[in-house]
Order: sequence, then C-alpha cells, then structure tokens
Amino acid sequence: MRKTKEDAELDDFGRFSEPALLILVSLADGPKHGYSMTEDIEAVAGVRLGPGTLYGAIARLEARGLIEPLKSEDRRNPYRLAPLGERALRARLDAMMAVARTGQRRLASA
Amino acid sequence: MRWLLRLYPARWRRRYGAEFAAVLAEQPASLGLFFDVLGGAIDAHLHPQIQHSTRKQTGPTQIEGDDSMTAEMLQRCAAGGPKLSPRDQKIASTFMIGSALVMATIYIVLAKMYHHAPAVEAVGYSAFPAMWLVYEQTAYLRRRPWYTQVLIAFALLAGMYLFMLGMCVIASKL
Repeated sequence: MRKTKEDAELDDFGRFSEPALLILVSLADGPKHGYSMTEDIEAVAGVRLGPGTLYGAIARLEARGLIEPLKSEDRRNPYRLAPLGERALRARLDAMMAVARTGQRRLASA
Repeated sequence: MRWLLRLYPARWRRRYGAEFAAVLAEQPASLGLFFDVLGGAIDAHLHPQIQHSTRKQTGPTQIEGDDSMTAEMLQRCAAGGPKLSPRDQKIASTFMIGSALVMATIYIVLAKMYHHAPAVEAVGYSAFPAMWLVYEQTAYLRRRPWYTQVLIAFALLAGMYLFMLGMCVIASKL
C-alpha cells in the first residue's frame, strides 16, 4: 500500500513514533495537558508514558506543527491537535485499519 | 526527582521545564522513571533543534523563542533531527564504515608493497578522520550539486592527507 504524505509525518520520529501516535489519539477529543495525556493514554492503550518519553514526543510533534500549545494560567500547558496533526492521525489510522482488515481477512480464510 | 530536570539543556527547560516538572511531580519515584527522564535528557541534548519551536502559542501570549533564521540554522547545523531522517543516518553510517574499511584495506596492501614509507603511513593515519569526513559528506552535503560535493570531499581529503604526509615525513627525519 502506498503511503500518503500525511501518513509519513510520523516516520522520522524513531523511538518516539508510537508515543507520538498515542498523543495524537489522546488529543483527538480535545485539548489536554501533559498529565491528562499520560492518564488518558494509559486508559486507552494500557501504556504509561514517562515524562521523558512524553515530552520527547510532544517537542517533536510541536516542532512539526502537528500539535499546538494553548495559553494557560498555570504551569500545566495544554495542547491541541493542529489541522496538520488531524490529517496525519487520520492517514495513519486509515493505514493501520487497512492492515488490520487484511490480517483479519487472511486469518478468516486460513 | 525534580533535580533530574537540570540534566536537560537550558533552552529546553525554559520551554518545557515547568510543565515537565508538573508531570514529574505526579509520578511515583522509580528506577524506570529515572531512566526515562535520563533518556529524555540525552535526547534533548542530541536533538537540540527539536525543542526549538518557532510556532506561536494560541492565545494572547507567545512562547519565547528566537527568530526563524536561528531556527533554520539550528536545523541545518545540529546533528540528527528532522532534517536528517533515520534513512539518511543509515546511509551516512554505511558510507562511514565502508570508507574506513576501504582505507584500512588500502593501507594494508600499500604497507605490504612499500613497507612503512611516510606516504603509506599517512594513509593509515588518515583513515580515521577520513571516515568522519565521508560521514559529513553523506549526511550533510548529499543534497548539494554533485560538483560541490566532489570539490569539498576531495579538497578536505587531500588537505588532510597532505597534512598527515607532512607529519609522517617530519617524524621519519627525527
């Protein structure tokens, strides 16, 4: 399957690819700050991201324009999904679903 | 564990320090957390351009940051990061190791044929710095025109070899 430009946005993240994807998923239903993301990701994916991993991924996502920081009154800075991030997330989830469908189909016919 | 924040670069701490500390304070101390923060600090030092966001904060205030020209310079100069993809790094590393092996083979063959003449010794001493020059070439110059790449590579390699040769000639006369 040919990769779209949006789907390739997370390719250069190295070991931060998976945390970055989880952060995008976490922000898909609204802005969150770091600790809320950690809690949400643990609830959704069963993975607890340490602060080093979380902010390594956040810094990359922000530098690429996939997420945006929002103004905050306290030190817990919330982030929201940027339009580019939303497109990248959709593209990546579509690609994953296509792989999952193929896998399911092959298992069913095996 | 808040002291671990000091391991991060000052610029990173200015941008993410407060919120990072807030998240860190919510986590129970553990060895896993220690290594996670340590790994994050190493990453922040290795990829300084990533923390340097010039994007504006949504709302009346903005994140502190330098101008876009500085950001561009950081992206161009710092090792690794968004402009040097994992694929680029693999290509550069392959060329680097390959060039070291080629230089070592040339040195072994020449040493067998001409024993330890200064010109041969200079090849041996040039192998290590040449390896880094090839890495730089393949990592940072490969998107430039081919004649620029050839000129820079040959000029640097020739200059370095001549320097080593001069040192070997001087050493042989002492």
